[in-house]
Amino acid sequence: MMSAITETIPTEVEAVPMSQASTRHTDMRSRGEPALWALGGALALGIVMIVGFLALVFWNGVATFVPKPLPVVTDASGNVTAGEPFREELFRLQPDELAKLSPEWQARIEKDGGFASRTLYRLGNFDFYGDDFRWVPDFTLVKTEYPKNMLFVERLEWGPFVGTIKNFKLDGVEQPFSTLDDPKFLAAHDAARDRWREIRDIERDRIGAINHDIEEARLGLRKIELKTGKDSADYKAAQAEGQARQVDLTRAYDQLAAQAQKLRERNATNTVTVVEIGGRDKTVELSQLVRFYAANDLSFAQKVGVYFSRWVEFLTTEPREANTEGGVLPAIFGTAAMTLLMVVVVAPFGVITALYLREYAKQGRLVSFVRISVNNLAGVPSIVYGVFGLGFFAYVLGGSLDALFYPERLPNPTFGTGGLMWAALTLALLTVPVVIVATEEALAAVPRSMREGSLACGASKWQTIKYIILPRAMPGIMTGIILSMARGAGEVAPLMLIGVVKLAPQLPVDGFFPFVHLERSFMHLGFHIFDVGFQSRNAEAGKPMVFVTTMLLMALIFIMNISAIIIRNRLKRKFQGSQF
Amino acid sequence: MTAPAETAAPTTGPVAHTPRQRRSMKTPRSVLIADKAADWVIRIGGVGVIVAVFGIMLFLAQVVVPLFTGAHVQSAFTSTQPIGTEPLFMSVVDEYKTVEVSVDNTGKMHANHIRTGAAIDIAPFDLGGKMPTAFARTPTGRELAFGFADGTLQMATLKVGGTVIDTKDVPADLRRLNEADATDGSAVYTVVSSDQTRRVSIAHEIAEPQQVAPEGTAIVAVDYRVGGSAERPTISFVTVDANGIGRLSRSESKTNMLTGKTTTSLTSSELPGLPEGVKVRTVLMTDKADEVYIVDIGGTFYRYDARDFDAPVLAETVRLVADGVQVGSVGFLIGEQSLVVGGSDGSVNVYFRLQREGAKTTDGYQLVRAHALESQPSGIVAMDVSQRGKMFVTSDSAGNVWLRHSTSEQVLLKLPPGQSVAYRTLTLAPRENGVFATGTDGKIHGWDVSAPHPESTLGTLFGKVWYEGYPEAGFTWQSSGADAFEPKLSLVPLIFGTIKATFYSLLFAIPIALGAAIYTSEFVHYKVRSVVKPTMELMASLPSVVLGFIAALILAPIVETWLAAIFFAFVMIPTGLFLSAYLWQLLPSPIALRYGGLPKFILIFAALILFGYLSYVAAPVFENLFFGGDLKAWANGERGSSAPFTAMLVFPFVFLGIFVSSDAIVTQRFGFVLRGSNRTSAGLADFLRWIATIVVAAFASYALGLVLISIGLDPRGGVVDTYVQRNTLVVGFAMGFAVIPIIYTISEDALNTVPEHLRAASLGCGATQWQTAMRVILPTAMSGVFSAVMIGMGRAVGETMIVVMAAGNTPLLDWNIFNGLRALSANIAVELPEAVRDSTLYRMLFLAALTLFVITFVVNTVAEAVRQRFRKRTAQL
Repeated sequence: MMSAITETIPTEVEAVPMSQASTRHTDMRSRGEPALWALGGALALGIVMIVGFLALVFWNGVATFVPKPLPVVTDASGNVTAGEPFREELFRLQPDELAKLSPEWQARIEKDGGFASRTLYRLGNFDFYGDDFRWVPDFTLVKTEYPKNMLFVERLEWGPFVGTIKNFKLDGVEQPFSTLDDPKFLAAHDAARDRWREIRDIERDRIGAINHDIEEARLGLRKIELKTGKDSADYKAAQAEGQARQVDLTRAYDQLAAQAQKLRERNATNTVTVVEIGGRDKTVELSQLVRFYAANDLSFAQKVGVYFSRWVEFLTTEPREANTEGGVLPAIFGTAAMTLLMVVVVAPFGVITALYLREYAKQGRLVSFVRISVNNLAGVPSIVYGVFGLGFFAYVLGGSLDALFYPERLPNPTFGTGGLMWAALTLALLTVPVVIVATEEALAAVPRSMREGSLACGASKWQTIKYIILPRAMPGIMTGIILSMARGAGEVAPLMLIGVVKLAPQLPVDGFFPFVHLERSFMHLGFHIFDVGFQSRNAEAGKPMVFVTTMLLMALIFIMNISAIIIRNRLKRKFQGSQF
Repeated sequence: MTAPAETAAPTTGPVAHTPRQRRSMKTPRSVLIADKAADWVIRIGGVGVIVAVFGIMLFLAQVVVPLFTGAHVQSAFTSTQPIGTEPLFMSVVDEYKTVEVSVDNTGKMHANHIRTGAAIDIAPFDLGGKMPTAFARTPTGRELAFGFADGTLQMATLKVGGTVIDTKDVPADLRRLNEADATDGSAVYTVVSSDQTRRVSIAHEIAEPQQVAPEGTAIVAVDYRVGGSAERPTISFVTVDANGIGRLSRSESKTNMLTGKTTTSLTSSELPGLPEGVKVRTVLMTDKADEVYIVDIGGTFYRYDARDFDAPVLAETVRLVADGVQVGSVGFLIGEQSLVVGGSDGSVNVYFRLQREGAKTTDGYQLVRAHALESQPSGIVAMDVSQRGKMFVTSDSAGNVWLRHSTSEQVLLKLPPGQSVAYRTLTLAPRENGVFATGTDGKIHGWDVSAPHPESTLGTLFGKVWYEGYPEAGFTWQSSGADAFEPKLSLVPLIFGTIKATFYSLLFAIPIALGAAIYTSEFVHYKVRSVVKPTMELMASLPSVVLGFIAALILAPIVETWLAAIFFAFVMIPTGLFLSAYLWQLLPSPIALRYGGLPKFILIFAALILFGYLSYVAAPVFENLFFGGDLKAWANGERGSSAPFTAMLVFPFVFLGIFVSSDAIVTQRFGFVLRGSNRTSAGLADFLRWIATIVVAAFASYALGLVLISIGLDPRGGVVDTYVQRNTLVVGFAMGFAVIPIIYTISEDALNTVPEHLRAASLGCGATQWQTAMRVILPTAMSGVFSAVMIGMGRAVGETMIVVMAAGNTPLLDWNIFNGLRALSANIAVELPEAVRDSTLYRMLFLAALTLFVITFVVNTVAEAVRQRFRKRTAQL
């Protein structure tokens, strides 16, 4: 509408050239063209920044799992490097190094203003080289080959391996290695992996259950001791019973341990000998190989297969190698559990508060002051909520809970330290203003006439709210709740103080009573980014994984936000013109 | 809809002719109950949530308050059984405040249960029947030395300590002392829990006498320190004999591996320069035995540099008390670098030995008064220092006992004089939780005190504090590290870091966000707007950890590599956009109109990218011209001149000044000349004028730059200095991503809610779009725009993850954009997980959080109030 007006006016002026009126347009300042371009430039810059940012994250996130070729490069001094090209960059060559080069390279580098290009190769084989990366300057390159038998092997330990397979042992019998497609080899690998999974299942789940029982028994005994003292009959009885149980448990434990040991011994006889590019070899258990592929000999379908299997691994398994490899399932789970728990708290309280402010409280100065304050609380830094959460929830509330209900576990805190519940409550406090503000707006948008109509028909106040107001305000409330979820899911700073850890051995939900363990610390996607991207030993090696995690987190938050926007727009459309 | 409606339904309809059944007018009970219940739930819930939310501030404040409450006496007591009235050399107390051990001036030891005064058996030191003429103790009170009239010296050790034992190991026939403690005569037992008991006992030992002074010359003052290893201890000591000769000695013990015999060797050197007949009050020695202080009765300090043990040098002779005042008590604070001097006039001062330019001493150090503490009513007679921090206690001749803290210069407690006016000795409990004095009345006077946070006052948090070893008072944050006994907790560097990060990021964000908002709201097609606006809103919800990661790991290396290009882009892109605008003006009107919408915006886009690329390409040229070829070396001050850069900084202002002032003079005539000419020629004239202004402004700003540098306003060493990879520039960029969407969204909303009829009226009167936007829309929406900026600022102040990851976290006080910073929020995130609950650091971090809370709350409230006003105003329009 606006552009229509503005376009017509100057045109009319244009239509009467050389008249008195036309002198006006010679005053260029009235159009402010240069300033206008500066404003436009600001908008363009903003768009470039956003698009650049999203493109960076998206490109890196999507490309991380693509299997890359494995060139073998030989340099002038005969050094051979095999690895994934990681990135390239220009660098300024020192004069003395430049002097050593051949004349044509010198001329080329001179031409580029003294800059030469070099490539960073991700070598793998950390156990051999003690290093993950190597720079190879272009001018030292003699040849680059793509041997078809070069393998990229992902292992459980030491990071990836790059090299070839010499032979493999099947139950201690050495077998010649022909190709990767050798069904015997593949079957052996599958069997070894199955055994590995079984070992993990035994050690973590079943032995874990026994350990859990032992710990429970110890705590139960301590509880009785605290209640009745060490000399009481109860204590003696419980002690005797505990000892009997201990014997049972120990027997079961030994049995399982023996079972695992047997599997492990079997796995030790199924090995593969791999050779790195320099000729050194190493024998690895087959069960240690997560994935392997001939990087230079992949068909398109195989590439797609590797790509998606990596995604599946990322989304469904636990991290390994100090979080820089493997998956992020516990972090996804922790993020989801915390956000859901937060919503369970924040939604009713936020809505009730908004109802109170809008429908019950007497509208006056006090309420408008409260309203402004609530609005402002949304702007209070999240770290402040974290500090409050730690000081109040964990130390004061949690400390009291421990003293009341878990005295047998002291001095180890149960609720008296950061955990899932406290994190969720802290974030609930952080996001409750968002819900209150959104709900209030939605309530205010319900026409007064509808309230009056309902009351006039004899409905009670609660009936009016329940049947007339809330249904109409529901989309607005949903928007607020989704926005609060989006905000809560992306916060990291308060969580760092109140329960997030880089590696949580136990999920907050498991098979032991009471099944949901709200006191446990948990992993979080955002903190995962912080930890791997900032605190890990080798941030460079972890970077690709961080990009994937970043993409995942951003996608999660954007999806929530976009759905909130869609709901809001639909609400606007639905209620437009429907007032009476 | 509800129950009544349903019951009414069957009565209507087919049986309409029968008299309508009379409907019950009573509201069903369930409805009433539900209504009441809802009423209560909503009221209680609503008020509860509001109270809870406000409770946050109260809780934070409640944690912070103990920082400022100083110390208080928990209980005071006087022992009932008399303990003797001999003059005492010293007394020590164990860390559980159970037993006091004192040494009297005959060398006899006394041990007493503190609360009752009951005597505990203790074997005396074997002094060979001699009377000591001098006495020394190390600050811990674990090592003692006696000097005798025959010139010999005897070293002793004394340990008063508690161990926890099983209750069943406690001897049976104990004598009860009071409700908590019992004794078997030589040790005190205290029950701690059902199966544990604490046993406090005394162990002491004395070594063989050593001949230090010539036979028959009495030793009048001594101090000593033990160094070396436990197997081969080195004892360094300083003595002054009755002839006024000071000696620095060292005795080393060696144990022969074969024979098991220990041989002790003693070397001595004389301290030069002591005046004839000096009457020595005290001698002191530092723990590394590299400094010796001899204090005479008149208050003169002779400081010896004893780093060369064989040839000590008299480094400094100085009076540390006022003329006519004597030294009442003197001692080292923990770390033995600061000297506390109490005068007979009641003054208490703390001196640091500091390296000073032009010091009139042989070693370049000088004793400097760092802290002047509040004077006591009468002369200082006794003092004891803490072995955990900078706390100490002093008493005067009138019996006042004051508990003090050196760093914060505060008097924590003033204990009133009791019945027995003077105290013989004064002891601070090892855990800083009690003060004990043995009175001349033969009783122990004790105070259980609590001084959990002696180092924090408003002064130490926000003012300059002189820390030990620092050349002057300053603002420092260093909560942990080597000298943990003096934590440096000034909030100023952190607040400064927050302000610095906020300032630089807003400097980057505000122009872009507001420019983009105005352009979006007033000049682009609504279709563009309907895409750009939600995208920006979406960006506002971007998790800041993502931004921090990108900033620290992607942006920081890029910025470091292309620093010159980025600086050049700041010049190049605006200039390029202006240039394109002037070229656009050359287009004839019909073309300009036809392509004035989206095509023009695309052109702007293209110009931005083109000139961004150009600044990348031409960066080396720019670097050569402005920064002597290497920006980082230039910033270090290694090369090049500051003038071109200064000129660059002042250029925008000079340009604007010339442009605006020339407007007043030139444009009138200009407009007259151009009257009637067509758009192209007018545009050309405008273009030429712009070029001319740039040229003039360039020269003028270069000249101004030279002037500014000559008067000392050099940006180098100020806003630009040594480059660090994690720096404020990177933080500014990353924070821009966080702040721009917020400022953009809110200000765009404000601009957009200006009523349409104002726009229509302005345009209808013949104003151009530009004039309408600048003179009608923007002024109307100004308060909304302002509140957008304030809210953006609130976000920048509290932003945590970006600063944690990209700012380097060094608590500094400089404006250097190439250096890092430590913000309040980042400091909390980094240090709180490690802080012990209820420690000073813990409370300090809560104070940091409270500060953030208050800052953002105030900023947001102002913004909100302004916005409310704006809403009311637009509603009236």
